[in-house]
Amino acid sequence: MIEATQTANPTEVNKITSPDGLKLFRQELQSRHDPNAPVVLVCSGTGCRAAGSAAVVDKFKQVLSGTGWNGKVLPLAKHTGCHGLCSRGPLVVIEPGNLFYQRVTVDDVEDIVNKTLLNNEVIKKLQYKPANSKEVIEKASDIPFYAKQTRLVLKNIGKVDPTDIDDSILRGSYSALAKVLTRMSPQDVINEVANSKLRGRGGAGFPTGLKWESCARQEGIRYVICNADEGDPGAFMDGALLEGDPHSVLEGMAICAYAVGSNRGYMYVRAEYPMAVKTLRIAIPQAEALGLLGENIMGTGFDFKVTISTGAGAFVCGESSALMASLEGKVGRPRPKYIRSVEKGFRDSPSNLNNVETYANIPDIINNGGDWYKSYGTERSSGTKVFALTGNVNNIGLVEVPMGISLMEIVNGIGGGIPNKRKLKGVQTGGPSGGCIPVPHQIPDINVGYGKLAEVGSIMGSGGMIVMDEDTCMVEVARYFVNFLFEESCGQCTPCREGLIRMLEILTRITQGQGREGDVELLEEIGKFTNNFSLCGLGTSAANPVLSTIRYFRKEYDAHIRDKKCPAGVCKPLFHYDIDPETCTGCGLCKSKCPVKAITGEKKKTHVIDQSLCIKCMECYKSCKFRSVKIM
Amino acid sequence: MITFQSVIITRTTPMKVLSIVLNGKTVTAKMGQTILDLARENDVFIPTLCDSPALEPAAMCRLCTVQVIEGKWPKFVTACNFPLRRDAEVVTDSPEVRQGRKLIIELLMARCPTSRELQRLAIDYGCDLGRFSPLNDDCVVCGLCTRACEAVTGRTLSLAGRGTAIHVDTAFQKASTFCIGCGACVQICPVNKITMEDVDGERRIILHGKIASRVKLPQCTSCGKFFGPVIDLKQVMERMGEHLIPPPNATVCPDCSRRNLAIKLGKRYFEQYGVFEEEGQADAG
Repeated sequence: MIEATQTANPTEVNKITSPDGLKLFRQELQSRHDPNAPVVLVCSGTGCRAAGSAAVVDKFKQVLSGTGWNGKVLPLAKHTGCHGLCSRGPLVVIEPGNLFYQRVTVDDVEDIVNKTLLNNEVIKKLQYKPANSKEVIEKASDIPFYAKQTRLVLKNIGKVDPTDIDDSILRGSYSALAKVLTRMSPQDVINEVANSKLRGRGGAGFPTGLKWESCARQEGIRYVICNADEGDPGAFMDGALLEGDPHSVLEGMAICAYAVGSNRGYMYVRAEYPMAVKTLRIAIPQAEALGLLGENIMGTGFDFKVTISTGAGAFVCGESSALMASLEGKVGRPRPKYIRSVEKGFRDSPSNLNNVETYANIPDIINNGGDWYKSYGTERSSGTKVFALTGNVNNIGLVEVPMGISLMEIVNGIGGGIPNKRKLKGVQTGGPSGGCIPVPHQIPDINVGYGKLAEVGSIMGSGGMIVMDEDTCMVEVARYFVNFLFEESCGQCTPCREGLIRMLEILTRITQGQGREGDVELLEEIGKFTNNFSLCGLGTSAANPVLSTIRYFRKEYDAHIRDKKCPAGVCKPLFHYDIDPETCTGCGLCKSKCPVKAITGEKKKTHVIDQSLCIKCMECYKSCKFRSVKIM
Repeated sequence: MITFQSVIITRTTPMKVLSIVLNGKTVTAKMGQTILDLARENDVFIPTLCDSPALEPAAMCRLCTVQVIEGKWPKFVTACNFPLRRDAEVVTDSPEVRQGRKLIIELLMARCPTSRELQRLAIDYGCDLGRFSPLNDDCVVCGLCTRACEAVTGRTLSLAGRGTAIHVDTAFQKASTFCIGCGACVQICPVNKITMEDVDGERRIILHGKIASRVKLPQCTSCGKFFGPVIDLKQVMERMGEHLIPPPNATVCPDCSRRNLAIKLGKRYFEQYGVFEEEGQADAG
């Protein structure tokens, strides 16, 4: 990008030397930008990229260069961050007009260029149809998945090319930093953030303004650190933010540095996010070349240098003290200290650590004021929250909703309900440290906020939201999360290390049909002990999945232990499939699907499963249109 | 400039004294004092496994967990490293604490049933030892050896692996070349997992049946026996700085050195009476 600008307009690589210079630079960009020029936005988030979106962008560029259109100012096809609706990828949005195409393959590209771009003709087969409906929805903004969201943090994602800083500046990036540097004192910034009531988006929900204030009060060198070590299974918000809009995170960090009086920043990204690292490695030098980061930012004399540091694959390094130990080059183990990191953190200096999403919220708060931000969300939990909606739900993807929204609205409204006519059993929030919320049966609905989630025994966490249908075994869910934590525990403190082995041992025993009377009580005893006695945040929340499933799904545990039955049909030794002779029509679908030929029966007559051959692969159960295959 | 000022401030302000309710009894504590320290001053027993007065607390065993009420709610903290910074109430032996400690002992006993310390505590806390199947690892992962090593040489033993696989090991699981054979790890290990033996002119530190380090022993020029390890003086000098004690003459073993000194003294004081007879031709040491 830099080279391109250099050749196009050599005077522009000059650094922006004053806050007004940024405004002029944006005006200059706007004058060259035609808002009515057609742009093809191809999602290059992790999901779409896995589905082949990189090839789609290349093909677009190749085809478009052939049409002789590439002389325009804007590149016609650009790859953007995650659009959100990952289950329908690769996604393509064509502006202006907000035309939405899903599951676009390389072969569709020529059609799109020739029909849609050149002749304004819509291609029906690529358009979005909601599950259980045949009506197509043309515009992205009309799709319920998008229409019901409130996109503040995600506003640029899917719109800007993350590798081109001009694109971000055009949409207002770094204007908040300019405002802060010219018109606000550090205390003003802290007051504004405190007024917004923004709470840490990493999960614990500590008030951000309070954290900044206590960091600013310390003496000596201060550090600003961004926690992008997002390791929860099923969570991808931070990765998507860094991949899609790195500049708002960097801007937020710079504003924080100004407020707390720091000039060194560290971005701790997990190594499993190579795309985020790659995007940052492009974004940071671009911002530095323009004088928006680095030394003497916008000629104001304020320095802020950001260094990228990658983890080595330890989940526990998302814990603040372990992260700082890892950043120092030590083993990533939490520090046994009762001193907060804003007092003594990285290199024993005051360090302000916030999550990616927290920083990404800052520029908007500065630009629009804390009162504007407070107008979203609830009294105790203000603003919006990005969730990674996954599991048994139609629309899997990245969603941003105001705090206080009903959970059922997220699942049914935005998520589009449960696929395959199954019923909702519960929603797991907060990743492995969170809990299962039994909506809609035991708790009809709940408003998503820090306090409310804690009340029902779960946590907000970083924003993973796993939807579970009736075919989910809660004991197995607890076992899965405990197994994850067992592998990720650092092992230094006894309760977490020994407690997790024992909980895993007991849960495995139960899922294998060898559960004993008293196992549930023992699990509860170990769980409470682990939560009270452990050293760090990982240990003190490690038993949450076990405790919350016991609290709400005790019957399932009892069925496993006493009746030796798995009601959901997940724990293989504890159930078998049987065909209900009353409803079976003898269509033969299950027979053809069975990989081990365990199903026999003549056409139009009741089929029978040979239990000695059955491997319980679930194929017959899933394929039966009449739900005649029953879990016994 | 700033640091200079802050030094003056800390000197002039009198040390704040805290009033702590320790198990119902009001006692005074110094600002920043740990609960364990305060409890020991007041003869309140808190069990510990990974604590050593010579080392920084690591809070790994969690056995010293107590309940502290600083604000509204009681919270569980480890006594060994929780600094008292404001008036608080401390309960060292509540039923919840006892229950937790009991579980720690039961869990650790399943891992390492041979520890005498644990066996004693198991009786005190009325542990049911049959609840957990034995793991028989013989190490309680208290981290004392690694912290002692860090304090002496800093580079031989450390905790490796994570989760349940955490264990004490040398770098790259190879016999360490940095070990000075001081034996601090052997001395401090509460479960005698680390042993030391002097064979064939070398000192071996044996960890879990594997040789963790070999240190060459010098041979006595007088009697030919192998003795004490040769300490890398450079390393010692780095650590001791100006307080370095002149190195001992490391060519004669302590036994011979003592005997030679006795002979020398004997010569000086008793030769004149004619009662002293030199028996060997030992070199002067």
